[in-house]
Amino acid sequence: MVGPLIPMGVIPQAWDNVFAVLLGMGFGISLEASGFSSSRKIIGTFFGYDFVVLKVFFTAAITALLGLLYFSYLGWVDYSMLYIQPTFVTSAIVGGIVMGIGFSMGGYCPGTSFCALAIGKLDALVFTIGMLIGIFIFSEAFPIVEKMYNSGSLGPKLVSDSLGMSASLFAFLLVVIAVGMFYGATWVERKVKKVDY
Amino acid sequence: MDRRYTILAILVIVAALGLLVLPNRIGNKAIAPEQLLVAIDDPARFLSTDLITERIIAGDPSLQLIDVRMAEQFRQFALPGAVNVPVDSLLSPQWKEILHQPGKDKVFYSNADIEADQAWQICRRNSVDRIFVMKGGLNYWFSTIIKGEEPPATASSNAFDLYHFRLAARQYFTSGVSADAGKVEPGTTGDKKSAEKVNVIKKTSKPAGGGC
Repeated sequence: MVGPLIPMGVIPQAWDNVFAVLLGMGFGISLEASGFSSSRKIIGTFFGYDFVVLKVFFTAAITALLGLLYFSYLGWVDYSMLYIQPTFVTSAIVGGIVMGIGFSMGGYCPGTSFCALAIGKLDALVFTIGMLIGIFIFSEAFPIVEKMYNSGSLGPKLVSDSLGMSASLFAFLLVVIAVGMFYGATWVERKVKKVDY
Repeated sequence: MDRRYTILAILVIVAALGLLVLPNRIGNKAIAPEQLLVAIDDPARFLSTDLITERIIAGDPSLQLIDVRMAEQFRQFALPGAVNVPVDSLLSPQWKEILHQPGKDKVFYSNADIEADQAWQICRRNSVDRIFVMKGGLNYWFSTIIKGEEPPATASSNAFDLYHFRLAARQYFTSGVSADAGKVEPGTTGDKKSAEKVNVIKKTSKPAGGGC
């Protein structure tokens, strides 16, 4: 992690975990500051009264995307040296469904549940225990699902490459879509009955 | 909607549009000439054939031999564990992973050390690190390890130690066959071992943790 500083030897590898802790803290603070420690706020996305999840994550994505592409253009970051998580189609679909159900039932995703647990929310405690039980079951049952887990491997694949367009064109389209979604979400929020939480 | 949000939305679209209209520019990763000069001047970039032989025999996992000769020559004879990366295709993307393996000493070798040195300079300019040149190349390796001669009786004990090491190495490379230098041809030594599959360590093999 922390490419390109560690792979290029600017910072020794031993700093890896220090950065992990610092970034984790920053991530937790941002989640809490965005109100993600409230399951009602998060679940608002599913009922249409609060789209803060969509807005925060989309903003983070397009900010990072534009930042990376500009940094790459200026020669500060070697875009090709970044680690790209490989795509596994089947497990992405199955995992997405499982995660979506858990998300909408519990009102948390793994990161936000820890964030809410840190400020002492009881529902987050229950959610976290459930999550750990889930992890345990998955780990024990791994030999059964292993085949499915590894199937549909596409390797590290970028959306822009599969669509055959340049990274900057894809970034532009994504930004336009994101901004359109922000306005659309605000419009929906106004139409839907306000919920107090 | 708040005016501030409108301004931010316009800003981000303009930033994205900026990317679209910027001309393509390939980042220049070459190191400065001064740095290159210092690196070329450093004799530590050369590794002796004896040292490399020792590391091959010890099965040193941090050693990555790179044969920069033509594919035809590589097929005839290569050192065990070497990968063939001809100098003329050195910069092609398919070798990027091999050249950028972390935690490995990449040692270039050719028949003499001229081609290997060229490869070293190209890679150094391209900011590839932990690269070395096998001093003297395969010719010197062959004349010392495979065809090495016994030092005169008056030679120092170090010279004898070295000779005995080379003798042992010769037996290793000629697969235990009595090391009759005259009978060993380049095409017969080490070929089996060089055919081993080389595992390339990817630059970032650790999955990045993420998600929310």
